[in-house]
Amino acid sequence: MTKRLMLALVVALLAPPALAEIPAEQDSCLGCHGSDPSMSMDLPSGEKLPLYVDQASFAKSVHGDMLRCTDCHTDKGDYPHESKPFKARRDVTVAYYEQCKKCHFSNYTKTLDGVHFQLAQQGNRQAALCVDCHGSHAIGRPGEPRTRVSDTCSNCHKKVFEVYSGSVHGKAVTQGNPDVPVCTDCHRAHDVSDPRAGALSLRTAEICGRCHTDPKLMKRYGLSTNVVETYLADFHGMAATLQKGKNGKGDRLAAGCTDCHGVHDIQRPNDPKSSVMQANLVKTCGKCHVGATADFPKAWMSHYEPSLKKSPLVWSVQLFYYVLIPFILISLVLQIALHLWRVVVNR
Amino acid sequence: MSEEAVQSETGYLVRFSAAQRVEHFVTMVDFVGLVATGLPQKFYTTSWAQWIIGTLGGIDSVRWIHRFFGVVLIVAVLWHGAGALKAILSRKVGFTMAVNKRDFTDAVKTLRYYLGLEDHPAAFDRYDYKQKWEYWSLMIGNVIMILSGLTLMYPALVARIGPGEIIPAAKVAHSNEGLMAFLVITIWHVFNAHLHPDVFPFDASIFTGKISRERMEHEHPLELASAEGREPGGHGHH
Repeated sequence: MTKRLMLALVVALLAPPALAEIPAEQDSCLGCHGSDPSMSMDLPSGEKLPLYVDQASFAKSVHGDMLRCTDCHTDKGDYPHESKPFKARRDVTVAYYEQCKKCHFSNYTKTLDGVHFQLAQQGNRQAALCVDCHGSHAIGRPGEPRTRVSDTCSNCHKKVFEVYSGSVHGKAVTQGNPDVPVCTDCHRAHDVSDPRAGALSLRTAEICGRCHTDPKLMKRYGLSTNVVETYLADFHGMAATLQKGKNGKGDRLAAGCTDCHGVHDIQRPNDPKSSVMQANLVKTCGKCHVGATADFPKAWMSHYEPSLKKSPLVWSVQLFYYVLIPFILISLVLQIALHLWRVVVNR
Repeated sequence: MSEEAVQSETGYLVRFSAAQRVEHFVTMVDFVGLVATGLPQKFYTTSWAQWIIGTLGGIDSVRWIHRFFGVVLIVAVLWHGAGALKAILSRKVGFTMAVNKRDFTDAVKTLRYYLGLEDHPAAFDRYDYKQKWEYWSLMIGNVIMILSGLTLMYPALVARIGPGEIIPAAKVAHSNEGLMAFLVITIWHVFNAHLHPDVFPFDASIFTGKISRERMEHEHPLELASAEGREPGGHGHH
């Protein structure tokens, strides 16, 4: 008897929660909005506003076991409810998008620094709002699977997405590789900064460096973790570090990672399409260095430390000073010390 | 020479002409300007460097200021070279900075004196071996700084004439030579022109042009003797 009861209990616990038990049911909205998939409203724009909510997909969403309909649709508590004078479907999205901030306040405030919000402020009604990326009723966990992130962005940024898909990072993402960056890893998710002014390119040493200085990660691909350090030790890295915070208006900004390696089209340096492939370097350097000729790219030591093998001239000059400076300084200090000692002795 | 002889009666001799004093002043200001805008670029990750760069209006203006002082240095070096050439050709002054065998024996003798192996230091002419060493070090240094600086200013042009590797080599040379010049000046020049027991706290002769007869007897007895038309006698002492 007890055994049977236990079994019944275990079965009850393991069984998926019955749909009727989601909080949204309690508002009895689904009585109308969950029964007829073709339920919709005609808008003045000529669009049809779907009014049907798929109960199953809402139940599976992150909010399924948490929110009631009226938590977001706050003005729809009574029946019959007044229909707002929406002209187009976009009006509905714009009207409801701020509902998210009640719970997701910190992410909402981040969006205020983002380029999408800036564009929306300037009157661009297509600029992405919460639900454009996250969806509305069928919200899943963001970034699961990771390909979903770039797929989401591609809804608007189709051309960039195509370029990215062909890059060394993009190709790996499509193959399910979790190591490579998706859009939000570089651009961030909520406070997406405007990449056009150059401020983002000045931060690339830090952004790219997050992965490219990680020894465990780079070992998997046989890549050097020295790339950021060698960049920062050279002229570009110095200038870019000191220019940080500039917005690029009127300034000639020093090259960051993406200025040489490409942005969405990054390839392995030995790929013929790569902008840092030996054969393509003159053109790449020439973007900033007007009049760069065949030997100019050698001015940059390709992220290598000076060595006798790779750059004998640089290595020799460095060695010369490493020996000369201490030698000269020790000699001078010694002579001063001897001189003063003689002065003291003579007294 | 007669002018010096007359002044020697008042206890002072003219050691540097007005032109030489101006040259030293310009070089001094220029050197400070170059160091103040150069070292922060070498040590850009430090907070003092970032403070200087920020105060001077950011890296871009610092680079322009550095180039301005660099051009001043080029002009000063060319000017000095022309003046030196004129002095050499005039025979009257001669090439008093030329290094000769005597400088090496002077150096050995002075070091032996410091060590207590010699009763007197060497007696010097117009410029002693230390002054000649500093002069030639900074002259060679200036040439290195100017050539490497111009290379860094016009990298694309240089790569058209020679191998591209010259550019990072020039950067290493410019950065290290500059640091060395700064350290030599702060240690050696500041000691000899300020902390040296004979001149402490401040050797003003390069600014006033004048030097006391007493100091000349100590530091440049050979020059004094020849200025006064006599054979050098006795020893200078430190």
